[in-house]
Amino acid sequence: MQISTRQAGTSTVVDVVGDIDLYNSPEIRKVLLETIRDKRVPRVIINLKDVRYIDSSGVASLVEGLKVSRNMNSRFILYGLSAAAREVLELSRLIKVFEVYENEEQALNAS
Amino acid sequence: MAFSLKLELPSHPQVLSVVRSAVQQFAAVVGFNEDECRSIILAVDEALANIIRHAYGDRYDQTIELTCRRLGPDLGTDPGTPLDQVRDGLEFILIDHGLPADPAQLKGRDLEDVRPGGLGMHLINQIMDQVCYQALPDRNQLRLIKVLNRKPQ
Repeated sequence: MQISTRQAGTSTVVDVVGDIDLYNSPEIRKVLLETIRDKRVPRVIINLKDVRYIDSSGVASLVEGLKVSRNMNSRFILYGLSAAAREVLELSRLIKVFEVYENEEQALNAS
Repeated sequence: MAFSLKLELPSHPQVLSVVRSAVQQFAAVVGFNEDECRSIILAVDEALANIIRHAYGDRYDQTIELTCRRLGPDLGTDPGTPLDQVRDGLEFILIDHGLPADPAQLKGRDLEDVRPGGLGMHLINQIMDQVCYQALPDRNQLRLIKVLNRKPQ
């Protein structure tokens, strides 16, 4: 799994590549929380298009990111969900909790 | 044809990706479609993660035994099942020697409460057709069954 961040205008995009499971979800959590707290941008966008698998510990990291973002008055957006990622969010009834878009352009331009 | 695969695993999260690959191949050979395979992988992965985190308290030097077994029509079919709905399927048995699970956690938590954690058992219960947990004197055993309903040719 690889994780990196980049700026896109006033947004920060977090690119994640690979599977997110119990082995690496602590790293995702750390990067997400540091990004949200340190960058203090109005919009944090998580690019999941190259993530084939997410388990419940990965979902927990995303939920934590969402909660911290709300506390910082920042938007927390997901895009590029694979079938596996969408399934786990639907089964845990969290899909409606997140702001989800198909691609980066939509995520960047969402009003 | 009935067949099985038995894995003795260290309780380390690094082995989870290896197990996911093995389970994917096993489920595909049995005849589950891509969506079903994906769900089965998630359930088995969550069960292993629960053992690592809760039974073994994140101790990574313990042992988990995972047996995957194909339930063929001659093994897993209920008497009286119509021939066009012959049941086939997969059974997973996970054995650990850690702390027994809290019965309340086996049901999964209330999902209306949006917070991190506690989703694993809920996902397993949603995906699998049978989930049976036993805290035995010398081990904990979790048995998961996923039924495959074959359509007539």
